[in-house]
Amino acid sequence: MRQRITFIQQPQDSVDPKSLKVTKNDISTTGLKGAREDRVTFGFEELPQELYRVLKATHELHIRWVSESPYESIVPFVSRVSPGLHVFYTPQRNSNNSSLLCPALKKVFGEIDCISPEKSFTTLPIERFSHSSATQYYTPLPYLNTFIHYLINKLCAPSKDTTACLSRAELLHSASYLDIDFDTISHALSITGFWPAQTWSLSLPTTSSNRLEVGMLSIQTPQAPEELSLGGFLTVVGEDASPSPTLFSFPARHHPTSQSFTSTFLVPSGLHPTLQLRISGSAKPVDGAACALHAHLTLPKAVFADKYQFSDSLFLASKNLSALHYISPDVDLEAPAYTVPHWGSSLLLELSPPSVKEDVEWTAEVPLHLRYLAPSEGGTQEVHIPSPVLFWACTAEEGSKFTVNPFERVDLGYEGLFGPRTMFYHLDPEPEASTIPAAERDMHGSGGGGRLVNTLEVPVLDSQKSAYVELGTAAVVMAGFAWVCWCLWRVWRRGGYGRTRVAVMEKKKQ
Amino acid sequence: MPSFFSPLPVFTSAILLRTTLLFYGLWQDAHSPLKYTDIDYNVFTSAASLITHHASPYDRATYRYTPLLAWLLVPTTFTGTWSLWWFSFGKVLFATGDIVAGWLIVLVLTRHRGMAMGRALRFASIWLLNPMVATISTRGSSEGLLGVLVVALLWAVMGKRIVTAGFLLGLGVHFKIYPFIYATSVVWWLDDDVVEEGGKEKGKGDGEGSGVFGTLWRFCNGARVKLAVISLLTFMGLNGLMSSIYGWPFLQHTYLHHVTRIDHRHNFSPYNTLLYLSSSSTSTPGSSSPSSSSPSSSLHLESLAFIPQLFLSAFALPLMLAKKDLPSTMLAQTFAFVTFNKVCTSQYFLWYMVFLPFYLPTSSLLAHPKLGLSAAALWIATQGLWLQQAFQLEFLGLSTFVPGLWVSSLLFFLTNAWLLGVIVSDIGSTSTSSPVSESMSKSKPKVLVK
Repeated sequence: MRQRITFIQQPQDSVDPKSLKVTKNDISTTGLKGAREDRVTFGFEELPQELYRVLKATHELHIRWVSESPYESIVPFVSRVSPGLHVFYTPQRNSNNSSLLCPALKKVFGEIDCISPEKSFTTLPIERFSHSSATQYYTPLPYLNTFIHYLINKLCAPSKDTTACLSRAELLHSASYLDIDFDTISHALSITGFWPAQTWSLSLPTTSSNRLEVGMLSIQTPQAPEELSLGGFLTVVGEDASPSPTLFSFPARHHPTSQSFTSTFLVPSGLHPTLQLRISGSAKPVDGAACALHAHLTLPKAVFADKYQFSDSLFLASKNLSALHYISPDVDLEAPAYTVPHWGSSLLLELSPPSVKEDVEWTAEVPLHLRYLAPSEGGTQEVHIPSPVLFWACTAEEGSKFTVNPFERVDLGYEGLFGPRTMFYHLDPEPEASTIPAAERDMHGSGGGGRLVNTLEVPVLDSQKSAYVELGTAAVVMAGFAWVCWCLWRVWRRGGYGRTRVAVMEKKKQ
Repeated sequence: MPSFFSPLPVFTSAILLRTTLLFYGLWQDAHSPLKYTDIDYNVFTSAASLITHHASPYDRATYRYTPLLAWLLVPTTFTGTWSLWWFSFGKVLFATGDIVAGWLIVLVLTRHRGMAMGRALRFASIWLLNPMVATISTRGSSEGLLGVLVVALLWAVMGKRIVTAGFLLGLGVHFKIYPFIYATSVVWWLDDDVVEEGGKEKGKGDGEGSGVFGTLWRFCNGARVKLAVISLLTFMGLNGLMSSIYGWPFLQHTYLHHVTRIDHRHNFSPYNTLLYLSSSSTSTPGSSSPSSSSPSSSLHLESLAFIPQLFLSAFALPLMLAKKDLPSTMLAQTFAFVTFNKVCTSQYFLWYMVFLPFYLPTSSLLAHPKLGLSAAALWIATQGLWLQQAFQLEFLGLSTFVPGLWVSSLLFFLTNAWLLGVIVSDIGSTSTSSPVSESMSKSKPKVLVK
């Protein structure tokens, strides 16, 4: 097991190395201000048998979970993913054991609507970038409780230092996002958690078999626009007697912007909801570069976009959109949710900011459609749609090379849709500035009470009122049918089925 | 003062109406994000463009028609300076179909009903000058094409053009399935009296024995056999050709889809709510669907829906009425088929509207204006009620499935069923009102003879 713990601080909060207490098997300090990333890497042999069996049939597995609560990102952890649980999966070739994946996901994350990768996952375009995963799955998941429970029972229990493991696992309750990565080449499973800036009191113990590296870094001014620069102290607990100073720069794909956005459904949403994106600015993040603003939407199956709607330029312009660049394949335009096996669909839209000099707030609208959902008591069902990811995609200068930097997240669902020299400048998602009083916020419409999830009330058949539908329909249809039959019978009684002229001819013949 | 109802003014107005709508549509499409063109037209034209790329039209989602339609619309994919005009080719074709159908209506009325031209044009205007018909075809919906096919079938049958009729019947069924109901009425109508009257066929069977076989032998006269063989050959030939080119997707999307699908979104059909209910209780791919425990209907009455529909439209109505008045019987059949169908949208109304000019002249709805007006008022009111409920569901997001949409669809159904009864009685009395019919006894059970 290897562990890497990184604190990212604002320059003014930089840690004083003297305040760090480093011993042979522990590092501790108090009042440390900063955001934190924990990465724990397990060897294959350290995993429970059931996970080992799933991963043996796996070529690549990337799980991204993001909290519904908004968080402040910090360089270099600025990439964004929509709230919920995303799974990107490539099965091992010649392996037919992918049937183990869904049961394992349910065991680890709780009851989710997942049958098998073949049925529940959608395929991703793999021909363009072989490094991204072949299939995708998503489900809303507000909390990590089941996962943390699983960690404590299966991964903490066998270890010697249970208390430390427990507290580290418990810490995930407040994590803003969680990444789990596995690929056959490294033969290792890594779990990464991220916490936004706060004040930490630390005591991080370790054992001789576990390597623990702790970094306390602050942001420095980079030398080139595509680069990030960090400086501070690195400590390998057990090896280093004191923190060693460090300063390094690296090219990065993901960058922050000062812009932000909110997403809400226009009311009344009906069966054709429109997702309105309110964007704080229209200016490109980098002057001179070719940049386009994109929205990446993750839509659970209850709601979908009709790709054919996005072909008319007048229509697109009226919504401040410019093009639909990608949509999951095989999105049925009619089927009810309960007959659709896929998790849903994702789409990548290019937005069309107003071309004005000033950096003004503006809106774009994404037309969507609801499927029929299963009947329920009360006649409505709630559907939770995660906030999309918005970013400017800019093409980096010729010759810039992006080697994956030590803090970069890959397999986010959208970077594979762009060329290798693309840089992403992320807009901060903000919950809707709600006009509804806080007390009622959780009960009403879209806002979702400060969460990055929009709620739609979908009208469905009220199962309490539908008891008489079958008999009522049958009775009315039978009544109509009987009336027509009676009319036919009257006709027959009066004149049979023959024609008038027949009678005339019969007479003549006689 | 010359009447408006002579061929030139009526057809000029019909063409002008469609041309105006066509140009208006082009203007609206070019200037508004809200399109005049029907979404289906985009489906047809993208299927046509798939054809030109040697692909299957079924690669376009929701293309559920014969490939013939996509082939017909290949000109819409022409490029060059006139491409925008070529794109409207399909709409022009559908609108032309309307006009031809109108002309055939006039022909049938004047030649086979002995109606004066002015009166015939008056009734044909129900179709020719109907804004709903003109709008639907100029928006690019193919239903108008069906209209011309079935009226042409009627025109061919009435004129004893059996080969043409057989071909049109086969083609019509290949195009949209439902015209198969006309097979029974046409075959039943084509008895020896009709055939001999035309003087083209010789009646068979001078006393070729009685009994079941004799009756059957006499029933299978030349015209009936010819019609059956040719229509079957056309239908099977087209299907064979299309399946050999496009394979399983052709059968799946053109035919099986309509038979197997039970999860339609809300429409006028009385079965709609029931289908929603039962489709949601039977299909649960998401094993953990939260409300899969909803009360499932155990009877599955919806699977029997075809019985009243087909009994009336393909058996009882043609058998009882076709010999009395074939065109009006075709109206009654279509009306029954649409009324009792598991899916019903306003485009289906066009299917029977094309036959109205044949029925209305002898209809009690026109003879008794009060009856006619109240029928029209009921038909509009129940439909309006449904539309209002659907609007609340579709755009305001209110759960109006039960009772609103359900009850209004049942009311609309009852209105239609009542109207169908009126139509049936009218067709029955057009012949029985004639004094000779009272003496007609051959086909009447003895018990009922007074």
